[in-house]
Amino acid sequence: MRAPGSVLDMWRLHVAVLVIAVVAQLIDVQEIPIGPAAILLLPLLYAFLLSVLINPHVVGAASKFIRKREVKAASPMIVIAIMPFIAKFGTTIGPSFEELIEAGPALLLQEVGNLATVAFAFPLAIWVFKLRREAIGATFSVAREPNLAIIVDRYGLKSPEGTGVMVVYVVGTLFGTLIFSVMASLSASLGIFTPEALAMACGVGSGSMLAACSGSLSGMWPGMEDTVVALAGASNLLTYATGLYVSLFVALPAVEWLYKKARPDEKPVARKEN
Amino acid sequence: MSAEETTSGSTRIPREKIAVGPTLRDLALVSVLGLALQLLATDISALAAAGGMAGLYVICAAGIVLTRFAPFYLPSIAWISLLGIVATLPFTPWGSAVTSLVADIDFLALSVPALAYAGLALTEREIDVVKKSGWKLLLIAVFVLASTYIGSAVVADIVLRITG
Repeated sequence: MRAPGSVLDMWRLHVAVLVIAVVAQLIDVQEIPIGPAAILLLPLLYAFLLSVLINPHVVGAASKFIRKREVKAASPMIVIAIMPFIAKFGTTIGPSFEELIEAGPALLLQEVGNLATVAFAFPLAIWVFKLRREAIGATFSVAREPNLAIIVDRYGLKSPEGTGVMVVYVVGTLFGTLIFSVMASLSASLGIFTPEALAMACGVGSGSMLAACSGSLSGMWPGMEDTVVALAGASNLLTYATGLYVSLFVALPAVEWLYKKARPDEKPVARKEN
Repeated sequence: MSAEETTSGSTRIPREKIAVGPTLRDLALVSVLGLALQLLATDISALAAAGGMAGLYVICAAGIVLTRFAPFYLPSIAWISLLGIVATLPFTPWGSAVTSLVADIDFLALSVPALAYAGLALTEREIDVVKKSGWKLLLIAVFVLASTYIGSAVVADIVLRITG
């Protein structure tokens, strides 16, 4: 299953990635503010876009430098390249272990709320939009990096499931702060939720979603800023500590099971990471 | 643990075929790429950045070895995340040392090479899916983010009301 040849043999691929990553890093984070939220442009997005542009399957002329064999070798590199990120992410959870234990039942159970994604978005994807297996990747989670890595591990990124999770990941990265601050303001103005509950819900996504969301809530309840930020932060920590395991052992098997029930006629495709 | 049951019929590569040597070599390569990006993204010294990346490398390498040889299967990223947590638990003798070693490594910069490989790995098949149902997936994405927020708020609200 390994890509043919050695590291040196694939120098074009790795040099391309190095150049793209350096350019992306030099452009740096750019923010387009919209009210209290912003459209966030991150280096990882530029890296993705630039590498799509030199992908021979997208831009034919690129095949002079990046050939089909480099494309093939890039696939197994994705999961390896995400590993140091996941390791770093584990090391941010360890030091806060005691705070997580103290976080209490509301925060822990609120993790279950993440499964609402499956309950609402999956039927929409299957019966309204008539999506096929890409619905699995798109709706099993809120599609942050750990969830992306789970899909890559199980199906490969070059699969319908991989495409599904990738689109949600990119949308979340681009518009996540906007969506979360709008949702926070909307649900706060409904008047049916306690500020504490809305603050906890702010933590279900990425760090920038958390910031935009708790910022909006602090705007609604100026006196409660400290409580909002503390609860949202604890919830975010918990999401990152447990989210990977919840989506691996609960959400993904559940979506797979639902998919088999929803599309009983579809033959399971014997797909191999190629 | 029902990991084996729930993954039966998946398309995963059998773990006996995980080639530990080449994977560790490729991991070293991406760690060097990562180091270059850390020097661009942060103000930390080359030595501190190299130390941090080396620390992360060891955690990842141990995770790969466990994925291949542990008595039960967990995906490599689950092992690596678990080892990252265990390596930095504050009440362990090693916790504070590991934490300070990797603390200054920038999160966002670490994810950049993975996305560059991802863009290069796309083939006609994936591009077709996006062309055919891209707009649907965009709407689903917005719905996924919004419903996750509301779902969590509802559960937290109910639990808070019950527990006071």
